[in-house]
Amino acid sequence: MNAFWKTMAATAVAASALMGATVAQAEGERYVLVSHAPDSDSWWNTIKNGLALAGEQMGVTVEYRNPPTGDLADMARIIEQAAASGPDGIITTLADPDVLSGPIRAAVDSGIDVIIINSGTPDQAREVGALMYVGQPEYDAGYAAGLRAAGDGVGSFLCVNHYISSPSSTERCQGFADGLGVDLGNQMIDSGQDPSEIQNRVMAYLNANPDTDAVLTLGPTSADPTILALEEMGLAGDIYFGTFDLGENIVQGIRDGVIQWGIDQQPYLQAYLPIIVMANYHRFGVLPGNNINSGPGFVTADGLEMVEQFAGEYR
Amino acid sequence: MSEAGQGAALAPAKDERVKEISGLRRALIRPELGAIVGTIAVFVFFIAFAADSGMFNAQGILNWSTVSAQFMIIAVGACMLMIAGEFDLSVGSMIGFAGMSIALISVTLQWPVWIAILLTFVLCVAVGALNGVIVVRTGLPSFIVTLAFLFILRGFTIFFPQLIERQTIIGGISDAAEGDWLAPVFGGKILGFVFDWLAEMEMIAVFERGTRAGEPIVDGIPMLIVWALALVAVAHVILTRTQFGNWVFAAGGDAQAARYVGVPVNRVKILMFMFTAFCACVFATCQVMEFGSAGADRGLLKEFEAIIAVVIGGALLTGGYGSVIGAALGALIFGVVQQGLFFAGVESSLFRVFLGVILLFAVILNTYIRRIITGER
Amino acid sequence: MSGFDHDPIVEMRGIEKHFGPVIALNGVSFDIRPGECHCLLGDNGAGKSTFIKTMSGVHKPTRGEILFEGRPMSFDSPRDAMEAGIATVYQDLAMIPLMSVTRNFWMGREPIRRVGPFKFMDFKTANAVTMEEMRKMGINLRSPDQAVGTLSGGERQTVAIARAVHFGAKVLILDEPTSALGVRQTANVLATIDKVRKTGIGIVFITHNVRHALAVGDRFTVLNRGRTLGTAQRGQITPEELQDLMAGGQEMVELEGSLGGTV
Repeated sequence: MNAFWKTMAATAVAASALMGATVAQAEGERYVLVSHAPDSDSWWNTIKNGLALAGEQMGVTVEYRNPPTGDLADMARIIEQAAASGPDGIITTLADPDVLSGPIRAAVDSGIDVIIINSGTPDQAREVGALMYVGQPEYDAGYAAGLRAAGDGVGSFLCVNHYISSPSSTERCQGFADGLGVDLGNQMIDSGQDPSEIQNRVMAYLNANPDTDAVLTLGPTSADPTILALEEMGLAGDIYFGTFDLGENIVQGIRDGVIQWGIDQQPYLQAYLPIIVMANYHRFGVLPGNNINSGPGFVTADGLEMVEQFAGEYR
Repeated sequence: MSEAGQGAALAPAKDERVKEISGLRRALIRPELGAIVGTIAVFVFFIAFAADSGMFNAQGILNWSTVSAQFMIIAVGACMLMIAGEFDLSVGSMIGFAGMSIALISVTLQWPVWIAILLTFVLCVAVGALNGVIVVRTGLPSFIVTLAFLFILRGFTIFFPQLIERQTIIGGISDAAEGDWLAPVFGGKILGFVFDWLAEMEMIAVFERGTRAGEPIVDGIPMLIVWALALVAVAHVILTRTQFGNWVFAAGGDAQAARYVGVPVNRVKILMFMFTAFCACVFATCQVMEFGSAGADRGLLKEFEAIIAVVIGGALLTGGYGSVIGAALGALIFGVVQQGLFFAGVESSLFRVFLGVILLFAVILNTYIRRIITGER
Repeated sequence: MSGFDHDPIVEMRGIEKHFGPVIALNGVSFDIRPGECHCLLGDNGAGKSTFIKTMSGVHKPTRGEILFEGRPMSFDSPRDAMEAGIATVYQDLAMIPLMSVTRNFWMGREPIRRVGPFKFMDFKTANAVTMEEMRKMGINLRSPDQAVGTLSGGERQTVAIARAVHFGAKVLILDEPTSALGVRQTANVLATIDKVRKTGIGIVFITHNVRHALAVGDRFTVLNRGRTLGTAQRGQITPEELQDLMAGGQEMVELEGSLGGTV
């Protein structure tokens, strides 16, 4: 038993030391950003970096929270908890309004300012009483991409959906299909999150449907393995390939000509701007009069330099 | 075990061959020990480091209580089943499945919500029974059988809504549940008047603006918490005070020995699988009624969280030993730590580190306690 | 008290048990009367286990008949045999080490106390009876909550025997109760057997230890290669003869010296 207590005490000491290190020392306001992304989703690094940078520049304390498995019900609890801790503002995604609007509205009503980012729509943001919406309307972005692809002569496609349980992912595929003017039907696959599984499913689909014109991926999680799949099948550069969001491999793919375009919703802005906006609002009472669309922007082989330099970090 | 003390009046004559064990040491030999120590340690820790962070105001308390209550509901089922010597890895998938079943029946089919809830309970308990029957009949490890159901149920949970509604989150249950008699039993709140009064006395915070301005932020105790406490109480009494409870211990302690003396081991195990499924269904129903939507990814990894809470609570993975109260405390530790680290300003990814460490301690402590009990050296 | 003035409780005549081509029992006759300790001796592989399982209802005999209190009986399950009053204490005890003595004692037959519509296990009665029954067998428990795992091997045997006796066994089959025990614990178990016999219960004591058998046995039956080689009364047979019978007639010269001073 003695050994047990000693170790217990050691753990407590270690934990308290860690806490001292992680509580930011800034004097200013405290803002919490809650995302819906599971721990494994590396795309959110850009968000974390944008958040940290804005916090540093404005001299405010910022915290990032997410449900470890991506379970939205857990996310609702996190928002409630963030509200209970009494921050000056909460920045959150609105991945499922049914689940999240209650906790968000309660936070707003208890005097905490909220900005919706990334998922959700401007309308939904207004409904829950948020100050504004910063992000990229998913269906519209998919639709714009579909129009572009249709102009390039695409008639059929494969949508690699690695986050099938999020409605916004499906909306991207649906928007793309509508932009092309075709029925989504079975052209969307549930790829899961595991890279080798994604790669194999893409290969299986393309083998079974050799007349597929284009591939659409929804982010680095599905794009990276899809690049490998296309390379292995000898289709790289041959098949029309567009993707949402950026990452190091996607940028490389665009430069190599494997990927025609990437839709950049510029997530960095989705974390950076709300902090700037809120801090200014709380200090001077100034607030932009409208929502901010952080995307879509199409990134193609032209003008990759800046993207390349900061891919995965700020882009 | 927990009937300690009842035999004291008999005061048996001393046997010179029995080494006296100190009262303190004897009091320590109980499955809940680790969980009790852990609970105290956790609260001392957070009171010391997060007392003024809002963790212990009404809203904060409600937050970690709700999360703990969620864990408790599934931990009670997992605990009884583990004592009976089996595992259920399909709990998390069952939560997603049950939620989706309620959503599809009430929103897509437009049937009354109470019918949706009752049908879903029947369905879940039937799947639990199927789990149990397969385990008992084939003699396969429950680990494998329920792992299969983890995938089967999750697959259906994604497939059906996509097939029928072309999406994986189905909302609109709140509207469907409007005026339903059964829905508030899972999604409602009780004792609202107490909180109104507390708000009037200015002892808890009220909304500052919006349509609910002036109302208390915490306006009642969610039924989720009531369900958790009721399940813990009922399961504890059944386990420690009834014949059936004795059979549960016997079935997990040594199934063959229990069969020799006529304990219906198979029936006990199947019933425990059904009870675990029932608990998962309570969890899902409360969640769906509170949030008004069902998602295909609800309940992911919850089976492990339940098992971790049970193990922290002092149950042996090998079965035959454990305590519902311990499991409930394990769930409380789990919930308080998960939510509390945030209040204390600790990087949330360290939660997993903490979880691993506390799990390891719990298992080591449990092994130590078992050695004392069985006299192994 | 001697059981010879009574009719046998269980009588088995010409029992044969075949498992496919294997003949495990090939003509076993055996009977047990109230208040006697009938020892069944045999070397490993002689068919003792099969015999016990046939008597306790696990196996049905291929040929032969079993009379229970004079009437032909056919047990479908161990539960049937148990209900009729044939209790078996297996070598591995059928005790659960992590559970308390009381819980083990009452396992499967828990006393019930009703409170309104609810049925609870009556721990007050259960604990009191357990303590009392154990005291009768000469064991003072520290507490009825004590886990069986903390008891010695001999004490565990005694709990199992006390349990069978309490639940009205007429015949108690003990499967090698002394095989894993030390000298002192063996003596305690043999003393327990003696106590139980005096209450009028017939005891079938299975062992391969001649000294243990002679210490408490009233009659001795030797099993060899699936057959009974005959039954002897106490005093009609010497340890040497028993030992030889068990070994199938082989000379056991080298052991005789040590058997001379049998209890």
